[in-house]
Amino acid sequence: MIKRLLASTALTLAMGGAACADFWSDASTEYKGVTIRGISESTPPSNYVRDVLAPAFTEATGIVVELETTSWDQMFDKAIKDMEANSGIYDFVYVEQDIIYSYLARDFLVDVTAALDANPDLKAPDFSFEDFTTFIDNFRGDNGDIFGIPMEAFIKVYLYRKDLFEDPEHQAAFKEKYGYDLAPAVTFDQWRDNAEYFSELDPNDQLWGTTVQASSGHVASFYEFFESIAPTFGLYDWGINVEKGAASVEKGGSMNSETAKKALAFWISLLDYAPPEATSSTWDEVASTFAAGRAAQGWVYGENAAWIATNSEKSSVVGKVGVTLPPVADGVMEAAEAGEGYIGYYDGGAFSIPHSSRNKEAALLWLQYIGQPSVQADWAVAGSRVVHQATYDDPKVQAQDAKADGYYTLMKDKGYLFKGAPEYPFHAQVRETVAPFIYEAIIGQLDPSEALDKAAAAADAEMKQLGYGQ
Amino acid sequence: MLAPTLFILFITGFVPFLYVLVVSFFDWNTFAQNPEPQFAGVNNFRRLVFDEAFLKSVGLTLKFTFFVLVSQLVIGFALAKLMMRNFPLKGLFRTVHTLPLMIAPIAVGATWRLMTVPGLGPIPHFMGKWFDISYVLSRFPDQAFATVVIMDIWHWTPLVTLTLLAGLSNVPEEPLEQARIDGAREWRIFWDITLPFLKPVLLTTIFIRLMDALRTVDEVWMLTGGGPGAATRFIGLYIWKIVFPKTDYGYGSAMSVLTLYMTIVLCWLLYVAMTGMKENKK
Repeated sequence: MIKRLLASTALTLAMGGAACADFWSDASTEYKGVTIRGISESTPPSNYVRDVLAPAFTEATGIVVELETTSWDQMFDKAIKDMEANSGIYDFVYVEQDIIYSYLARDFLVDVTAALDANPDLKAPDFSFEDFTTFIDNFRGDNGDIFGIPMEAFIKVYLYRKDLFEDPEHQAAFKEKYGYDLAPAVTFDQWRDNAEYFSELDPNDQLWGTTVQASSGHVASFYEFFESIAPTFGLYDWGINVEKGAASVEKGGSMNSETAKKALAFWISLLDYAPPEATSSTWDEVASTFAAGRAAQGWVYGENAAWIATNSEKSSVVGKVGVTLPPVADGVMEAAEAGEGYIGYYDGGAFSIPHSSRNKEAALLWLQYIGQPSVQADWAVAGSRVVHQATYDDPKVQAQDAKADGYYTLMKDKGYLFKGAPEYPFHAQVRETVAPFIYEAIIGQLDPSEALDKAAAAADAEMKQLGYGQ
Repeated sequence: MLAPTLFILFITGFVPFLYVLVVSFFDWNTFAQNPEPQFAGVNNFRRLVFDEAFLKSVGLTLKFTFFVLVSQLVIGFALAKLMMRNFPLKGLFRTVHTLPLMIAPIAVGATWRLMTVPGLGPIPHFMGKWFDISYVLSRFPDQAFATVVIMDIWHWTPLVTLTLLAGLSNVPEEPLEQARIDGAREWRIFWDITLPFLKPVLLTTIFIRLMDALRTVDEVWMLTGGGPGAATRFIGLYIWKIVFPKTDYGYGSAMSVLTLYMTIVLCWLLYVAMTGMKENKK
């Protein structure tokens, strides 16, 4: 499977490369032998860039691409330090759609639109901002220009084990115990019942009822709660009222509202039905847990959906994966349909060029190379990420869609119901302030209500300290 | 002749310290509404006094330091005494015993993490099988703290053993033999003869381990990330979180300065306590 994929990728790249051979070769004449360095998180889409796109670009242009794929924390840490110190180590950096507002506020990034306008000789004929989905709008500055070329975009979906949910024996046993049909959850009570049922099945404790991305020492738990769980209860944008610079109900926010407390209590209660690794799980471990067949259902990042559903070398649940929307509280779906809310997390990122880069022109060529239509389909198949509208209609993607229980179709048709993190310049600062209280709730040192009261008060103080609050 | 050395020491040691000291008097967060450094006087130090999370980290660090220091001294001394004797495979034992010292702290943390992963690591498996204990580091704060202490003891006790072994090797035989002939008990011999001879080595060892324990970061970061909750969030980790993810450089610098001050005071108190004992005895 992988060999066929790589072979077809090489063929596509060769064909695309042949069509534009003159451009890539001519445009890069001055930069042959230059090495551009980048940093990204080690994820399926980034690994595809490192293993497939970077060598192909080098072959087409003579420009060497060194992509460092590392942990999420290290990636931001290194990129920010490089840009702050203006050291020029990286020529392109991964920019998540929720951190770009902080970067733009600090004027870290090159205006790609302006750079292409200023260098028409470097403008690839096959590259157009118009090809991208509306996700590219996340990377616009105040002037409407583009500051990053999207390289991944996905939604956090509800994955469940189709084989278990469709098993007649389980269906009968579940109905006998709970009085209604076993099915993917559309309510929170149903999610809990499903979780309880499956967690009580296996005496050897190899199957649990649900995944929970509840690391008790990593911000992944903060993200799962505030960006995947809380919105389904109707709590949006972390419960922060940005106009008032407030998080607590007392000051005009909603981080410690009754809705938020109810959402946190529900999420924490799921730990009773989650595998023991749940409290040390980030997004990666959640995907691994599901792929290992250790959970019957869960909220899983879409970038992992394809390999979990199709790669038998890494996943033990190939052909057994169902994909659907997560359950929501009354009124939340209607609010999302009306554009007044959202039901989960739309994640993604772009590659941007820091002002500190010493090889901006070569990096500009590279960003256009990965933004070409010809490279999108195979990349989407390998990393379940889609950034071009036309990618959805590619036969390879449609074939993969069928194997992944319609994940791509779900993203195409329902992606608008999901949303990325709010556009806060104080994103990391408030996150680091609030997260410890979520950790303490996870391990039971604080009850959910107390945790959110303390978190909201701390967030108020942090925003005030930063000059954004009251 | 000393000038180049002093110059390098000044550049690499004193200048960074001065820089951190200066920054500690500024409000400086690059993601604040005003990202430029603003002079704040002693405000960062005042914030520290009311920062519950920081005070909790200080308490945890002192508790951690106490446990690892006492354990390493006791175990290290026992092993050093053992190695003063001859026994079969002594060379092999000494080599194996010293191996942890050669491993980088980050690798130690990674190894222990692998050993403690539920469903994969041997420690949770055998704790469950033999003692019926549910061992989940990321869920139970006491287990995490105890594991971090044990990891540090495992990693650094060989250093204590080696330094004390060197000290014991230099204790002259004559006074020991004379004391035994005079009928002194082993405890009196240890207290009145061995310990005074060991004192310089002991003091150096304690200082090194004390300073190391107070600024421990990497292996704990790798094993627990400071969690679960704040159970293993020692000062070094807390400073890291303040300076890097939160980019609060002024406040983080104030914490670093205070931690340095605390380390110096603790070392001084220990020095006075140990050398004072000698004065009192005179």
